[in-house]
Amino acid sequence: MTWTTPTTSRRTLLTGGLALGAAAALPGCAYIRDDVPVAAPLPKSAKAKIDGDLVYFNWADYLDPKVLKGFQREYGVSIIESNFDSMEGMYANIAAGNQYDVVFPIAKWVVKMRREGKLRVIDHGQLKNADQVFYSGSYFNDPWYDPRSRVSVPFTVYKTGIGWRTDKVSGMTGSWEDLWNPQGARHIFTLDDQDEALGMAALRLGYDVNTAKASHLTEMKKLLVSQKRLLRAYSSDDVNNMNGGGAWIHHMWSGDFMYLRQGLVNKPQNYDFEAPREGTPINSDAYAIPTNAQHPGTAMLFIDYLLRPENAIRNINYLYYPFPVRDAVATFTELAKEVPACDIDVKDLENPDVFRLLSTKEVQARTAAWTEVKAS
Amino acid sequence: MARAKKLERKPLVAVVVTVLFFAWLYVPIFAVALFSFNDKKSLSAFSGFSTRWYVDFFHNEALLESLRASLLIALVSAVGSLVLGTMLAFGLERVRSRRGRVVGAITLLPLVTPEIVTGVAALLVFTGAGLKLGLDTVILAEITFSIAYVTVIVRGRLASFPLEVEEAARDLGCTPWQSLRLVTLPALVPALIASGLLVFALVFDDFVLAFFTTGVDPQPLPVRIYSSIRFGVSPAINAVGTLMLLVSALLIVAALMLPRLFKSRSSSLDLITGGERR
Amino acid sequence: MAAEAPHAPPGVQRRRSSQHTRMWGYLLALPTVWMVTFFISSMVIVVLLSFGTTTRDGFPVFGTNSGNFSALWDEVYLRLFVRSLLYALATVALSVLIAYPVAYAIALHGGRYKNALIAAIVVPFFASYLIRMYAWKALLSDDGLLNSGLRKAGLGDGISFLNTPWAVIGGLVYGFVVFMILPVYASLERMDTSLIEAGNDLYHSPLRTFFTVTLPATRAGLYGGMLLVFLPALGDFVSAQLLGGSSTFMIGNLIQQQFVEGQNWPLGSAMTVAMMAALTVLMVVYLRATSTKAREL
Repeated sequence: MTWTTPTTSRRTLLTGGLALGAAAALPGCAYIRDDVPVAAPLPKSAKAKIDGDLVYFNWADYLDPKVLKGFQREYGVSIIESNFDSMEGMYANIAAGNQYDVVFPIAKWVVKMRREGKLRVIDHGQLKNADQVFYSGSYFNDPWYDPRSRVSVPFTVYKTGIGWRTDKVSGMTGSWEDLWNPQGARHIFTLDDQDEALGMAALRLGYDVNTAKASHLTEMKKLLVSQKRLLRAYSSDDVNNMNGGGAWIHHMWSGDFMYLRQGLVNKPQNYDFEAPREGTPINSDAYAIPTNAQHPGTAMLFIDYLLRPENAIRNINYLYYPFPVRDAVATFTELAKEVPACDIDVKDLENPDVFRLLSTKEVQARTAAWTEVKAS
Repeated sequence: MARAKKLERKPLVAVVVTVLFFAWLYVPIFAVALFSFNDKKSLSAFSGFSTRWYVDFFHNEALLESLRASLLIALVSAVGSLVLGTMLAFGLERVRSRRGRVVGAITLLPLVTPEIVTGVAALLVFTGAGLKLGLDTVILAEITFSIAYVTVIVRGRLASFPLEVEEAARDLGCTPWQSLRLVTLPALVPALIASGLLVFALVFDDFVLAFFTTGVDPQPLPVRIYSSIRFGVSPAINAVGTLMLLVSALLIVAALMLPRLFKSRSSSLDLITGGERR
Repeated sequence: MAAEAPHAPPGVQRRRSSQHTRMWGYLLALPTVWMVTFFISSMVIVVLLSFGTTTRDGFPVFGTNSGNFSALWDEVYLRLFVRSLLYALATVALSVLIAYPVAYAIALHGGRYKNALIAAIVVPFFASYLIRMYAWKALLSDDGLLNSGLRKAGLGDGISFLNTPWAVIGGLVYGFVVFMILPVYASLERMDTSLIEAGNDLYHSPLRTFFTVTLPATRAGLYGGMLLVFLPALGDFVSAQLLGGSSTFMIGNLIQQQFVEGQNWPLGSAMTVAMMAALTVLMVVYLRATSTKAREL
């Protein structure tokens, strides 16, 4: 490698300085154009009829492949699959103009995309199985994230609680305090997820899971830092952390726990799950059709197909997450009968502990707190 | 080899460390290869032989798309950085002005900049210029990052190439371009191939730059792997890893065979390691 | 890769025609423009944006606010920086201890297997860094292969290898040690081995020969390798994320978080600039020290 002579660095500095001066002359100049519309009118619903192959955009491995194959066979179309790894990634792809026919946003992202006019109305009258989720008295007739479910159809629901090894620790109290259980010292994991980790601390302190108040954040930060001497790591790979033996107490998602206990380990009786009494975040994912979808008709049929109880049941047995499809609810209750804490009742959905769409200022304040927790 | 015999007997410590090193190096790789043939989803207990994850992989359109995307990125980046890096190597080697030295220093900066910095900076410049993030932006960033490797390797070879040969060609009536094309470039072929292979391999497996500069689908393979391992990996990923290992092994073997093809004394591996300029 | 630029003999230069020089000058133009457009300008933008803010919707805007930097002047971040630095230095130290003997054994005693052995080292490094890291995670876990081996041998029971600083450093060494082996190997290869023989005759002690003859002769490769390992180790965020524990967050993780979850690019840029500034100071010190050493030879 050749090392630079002093002349270079002087010249580089000079160039940098000039550019700096130029920028100082334009303070406040927008760096990326900020032209996202808000409160856009809702684009009209499509008719449920085949209008092409289905471009499908979901988390990886998040529906039973057999169910997908069944749709292709029955309707004679193929499914072109793409995956996202985070809600930010999903949103960025759609915002960049990529065309998908069906997407699977988390509730708070439905709020954002509906507001920006990025989702089409889904006419319930077009769905033969609509009454499986929109029956009289159903929570989803008017969920918090999508008034009257105009642009979304519920997909799964899940809660966040604590999974633990009954052969390693005892004295679990049914409170978030259990993530501080000294018996699990150095074998406790907290989810590496800003909303979940901050939400857990907020619940333990009796605050709203979405709080961004400075005084609350300071307390939550202290609380989370106090957990560090007992904590093994922050990680979202909850299934493998438990399965690998490193985790005895894990802040985890109900569906992951079900998969671990019923689908993976040899001694399920050594694993248990609790939904702490201070409150547990219950969130939901939805099906939605982007405004720029090329085959919204096929997407309508696809959603309708997934609402069929037999398909919901197959997906439940594959994913281990509950589906709020009326005639499939019993299947999950049966699956979860040894761990009823993982089950989610319809009335559980009237739950204040959902992650809401926050302003940038609030997100930044929360990120700063979470960053300090992880950095210290 | 006679030279080696005259040395002291083999230093025991070094040999032991080397053996342990190879074991350490290959244990996780064998684990990856082994569990890619596991019939269950577990990554810790091998329960039986199966090729289902390879079948899964070859039916997973998203993973295949990523593989194709990464191959494309690596290929275009290798060609692009070869062209620019070779031009630069010539310029730097033949123009010994102050300006040449400044340019030389600038091109080597990416080598001494942590990749995360390069990645962040590339993200900012692309979004600032209003480019849509995607494979194009990944390729632009990778080329920028790889030029330095080509320049270093080609320049080394160029420095050891006697300028008199080129001069002689010109005395025989060649124009400067002809002497370059007919005399110098052929002598550089092993160095070009070696640096092309190196860039291809580096870019194909590069994660950090791709992570920051990727946008719309398809995602480069390492980025896709990263997103799946955050939430627990499917053994199909092990199948991918095993296949990648095979491909890179083939590439390296190809690099080793090069000197035989070109009847040159030194291996192109020496070019990569810098052993060429002895 | 780490070697001083070769110099043409002085006579050659004078004979070159001006037409010729112009041709090379043209060749230089395109790559120069490219590097300025995509590299230098990007660095300038990072610096500019580090003084910026975000709009109500989270979009970054240029500005003249130094708030991002003052936010970083905090005990938490300073400690984190020192931690990253220590991990990177430990990675370099371990890499030297591993790479030198390996390069030595292969270069001086590898015989006709030399190239094959080096290739065997290089191959794994091109097969997904991420997958290899994930494989380590499975191997090192409390019920993983390593622990079950130890348990069978009666050497321990469920040792927590994973999620510790040493796991992170181990991952970094595993990821980057090849960048130490190659330059050291190259400089050993290039060394005149008769020096070692002479040393052995003179000192009658292989150890003394090593420290007075071999080691100084390979300084250039060693110094280059140290840099090539140190830089990526300092900026890495994969090892800490996959193998790390609750207090192993590194500077790379910090920057990544601001760009992905945090919706705060200006703050992320400020972190990047701060890291580069500290790095530049370290590099200047390092280069001063090593070039003085090199001159003493």
